[in-house]
Amino acid sequence: MTTLDHHTKSARPVPNPQKSLITKLNMGTGLIVGIIFAYVTYKLVRGSNPDWEPTQDINNHNQALIASMLMWSVGFLVGIGAFIGPWRWMIGKDLTAEEQLYLAGDGQGIKRYFKYCTDHKVVGIQYLWGVIAMLAVGGTLAMMIRTNLAMPGAKLVTPSIYNSLVGLHGITMIVAMIVVATGPFGNYIMPIMIGARDMAFPRLNALSWWVLFTAIPVLCSAWFLGGIPTGWTAYAPLSVQAGPGMNAFLCTIIIFAVSTAVAGANITATVVGMRTKGMTWNRVPIFVIGATISVALAVPAFPTFMLSMIQTAMDRTFQTGFFDANAGGSGWLYAHLFWIMGHPEVYVILLPGVAALMEIVPVFVRRPLFSYTSAVVGFAGIAGLSVLVWAHHMYMSGWMPMLNGPFMVTTEMISVPTGLIFLVILGTMWNGRPWMKLPMLGVFAFLWNMLIGGITGLYLSDVPADNYLHGSMYVTAHFHYTLMGAALTGAVAGLAYWYPKMTGRMLNERAGYISFWLIQIGFNVLFLGMFIVGAEGQPRRVADYAQEYGTANMVSTIGAYSIGLGFIILLWAVVHSWRHGKIAPMNPWGAKTLEWTVPYPVPLENFDELPVITSDPYGYGKAAH
Amino acid sequence: MSTDTKFHIHHDAPGVVGRRERLGVRLLIVADAAFVFGMVFTWFYLRNLNVGTDHNNWTPEGAKVLSAATGWMTTIPLIVAAIAHRFAMRSGKAFGNIAIITLLALVYGLYAQWNQMATAGLTDHETHAFQGSYASTWTLIAAANLFHYILGAFIALGLVIRARRADVNPVLESWRMKTAASWFTWIAVSGIICAITISIVN
Repeated sequence: MTTLDHHTKSARPVPNPQKSLITKLNMGTGLIVGIIFAYVTYKLVRGSNPDWEPTQDINNHNQALIASMLMWSVGFLVGIGAFIGPWRWMIGKDLTAEEQLYLAGDGQGIKRYFKYCTDHKVVGIQYLWGVIAMLAVGGTLAMMIRTNLAMPGAKLVTPSIYNSLVGLHGITMIVAMIVVATGPFGNYIMPIMIGARDMAFPRLNALSWWVLFTAIPVLCSAWFLGGIPTGWTAYAPLSVQAGPGMNAFLCTIIIFAVSTAVAGANITATVVGMRTKGMTWNRVPIFVIGATISVALAVPAFPTFMLSMIQTAMDRTFQTGFFDANAGGSGWLYAHLFWIMGHPEVYVILLPGVAALMEIVPVFVRRPLFSYTSAVVGFAGIAGLSVLVWAHHMYMSGWMPMLNGPFMVTTEMISVPTGLIFLVILGTMWNGRPWMKLPMLGVFAFLWNMLIGGITGLYLSDVPADNYLHGSMYVTAHFHYTLMGAALTGAVAGLAYWYPKMTGRMLNERAGYISFWLIQIGFNVLFLGMFIVGAEGQPRRVADYAQEYGTANMVSTIGAYSIGLGFIILLWAVVHSWRHGKIAPMNPWGAKTLEWTVPYPVPLENFDELPVITSDPYGYGKAAH
Repeated sequence: MSTDTKFHIHHDAPGVVGRRERLGVRLLIVADAAFVFGMVFTWFYLRNLNVGTDHNNWTPEGAKVLSAATGWMTTIPLIVAAIAHRFAMRSGKAFGNIAIITLLALVYGLYAQWNQMATAGLTDHETHAFQGSYASTWTLIAAANLFHYILGAFIALGLVIRARRADVNPVLESWRMKTAASWFTWIAVSGIICAITISIVN
């Protein structure tokens, strides 16, 4: 991508942070105020009856827990200073330039990572470590699940604890995967890629991260409140009847949905309104397109998820009857609201990872991206169709069998735009000689895994086949192939690709290769085995299984340990290289997108002078215009 | 830098910043609209599941059904606020005075909505459970309307206060009024949609 001199150089205000409240607030004050809010709310809602017993007044106990969890989030945000901006706006005393500069973390070193910092690069790093923490927790739970399933009748955990392991693993991974690419890269890299100085709404950007942060302890509290016996789908009326741990699940999703809406609006507004001069829509890097379509899809999708959680919470606390047939409710209503979000959510996860890989392919094959338009059409097609397929999750629920056929057709139609994505990647690689670095290995892994994930998905979209496979380990294997094998592989490849820009150092290559092969071989061993036992009839979400599935499950568990070891090595590589890695040159891959034109550490406002774009970002082998 | 840093750190012209802010708010309106759609869907889904006298748990026997006017009573202040804000925007220097009407309408609506919820009497006197899915869904919609009022009142209060201050950027401020107009218009539209919905009881 060629750049020219253009806009006037900015005159930044002199940093002079006032000794105001803003300078005193940080994560610590957030924790203190959040805990106080939660405690006071719990006491207030519970009432002052000294004989009160949570088991005797379940509704009131649920009310107290839900209110205190939500107020924890509000309190934390108050304590960290998230509401100073809106408050100052309301009283007509806008934040001064100096205060905004302070909020951007200028000159505050590592402390800014623990503050309400508006710099998109800081938010990107916060997201990165948040995602790593969530993946570590979710991965550990996965290892516990697989350990229990290693042998028939292992009984390392009770069936109810097993259910909670599955539920917590599921929701932790879903939340982590939704932000795994758009969080770190969408925040750190994307604004630089489009030639912007920051996100459109820097304070909202910080808000989206810290709101998400407050959801993490809430989710963890589920474990101490008796767990989540429902799986991550939390179907009603089971979730209405579940113990107090369910409140944590509901509040996590409510809080997370706020974070997602805010982040989605922010990223979309940034890309629509802040592209630098000359960056017409057909010159926007494909990662930006994929990430934007993904978050734009999340904006209308997640509120219905939030609504289903609010309704569940109301049923649990105020005895409404949304999901209770005796009170005029219906479990199908929950399934609709959940899956109207639930299926687009798969693509909210998938698209940014795939888009990151599409960004990588031209760089490592040194060829222009094959049919950029097809890639955009593919992304848009997937996003558009994804809102028309939700009821394929309800084939076996008994809801409107006459509509199974139409939903089968819309579901199978998604393979068309997905095929376009495949063709774009293959077309870019065609006759090329790939530079086999770690990010490029991720592309090959994606092609293999997504092919299996996609084809097995076709069987599940087919009503007669789903009749047999529904609720089996086959389904578990299928969605792990798409979400982990494709989306997480894309995100890890993205991390390997952008790591030099985010840290100023190269990721340890040897450790990266070892982890790659351990993860990919382990992944295929684990989930190919799961396809076999699933097709033979082993149900999912069950703590034990018949003797005949023993060998395949043992093999799957060995695969799981290989994945676990691979990720531990990758984590070591990320942490070690951050301090001790080889110093990265400004553009180690010779890429043409804008993020590689800025030095490390990236200046506060990214560019001294905003670039002007005069050519497309994938003009490899072409003379610059 | 193209703008005076006394007001803002933005490098872009106030009009550009204003348009961007309005886009952001409109995207958040899309999210809110999806939520409202979900509530309307809930209403009609449950209403149409509970057909026939044998299994009418929508409004079971003895359950209270509110007047169809209830939704409109709490929507009219939203409409008044949205119209008043539009007038205020056109009034130039009198914005601050007319904007008070917007604020008062929203505060009154907030009170009316709260009062309506507090006195609706849709729960069983003994068990405190909501009587039928009509009662449940009505309460949900009313609560969402209350949330709209709270947010609307906050914005209106901010605009009234800011209209009386001399040290806000007038160009950016005019864009913020337009941005607020998007929100006020949306919550009025949402109120109308919800009022129509809860008017269709049986």
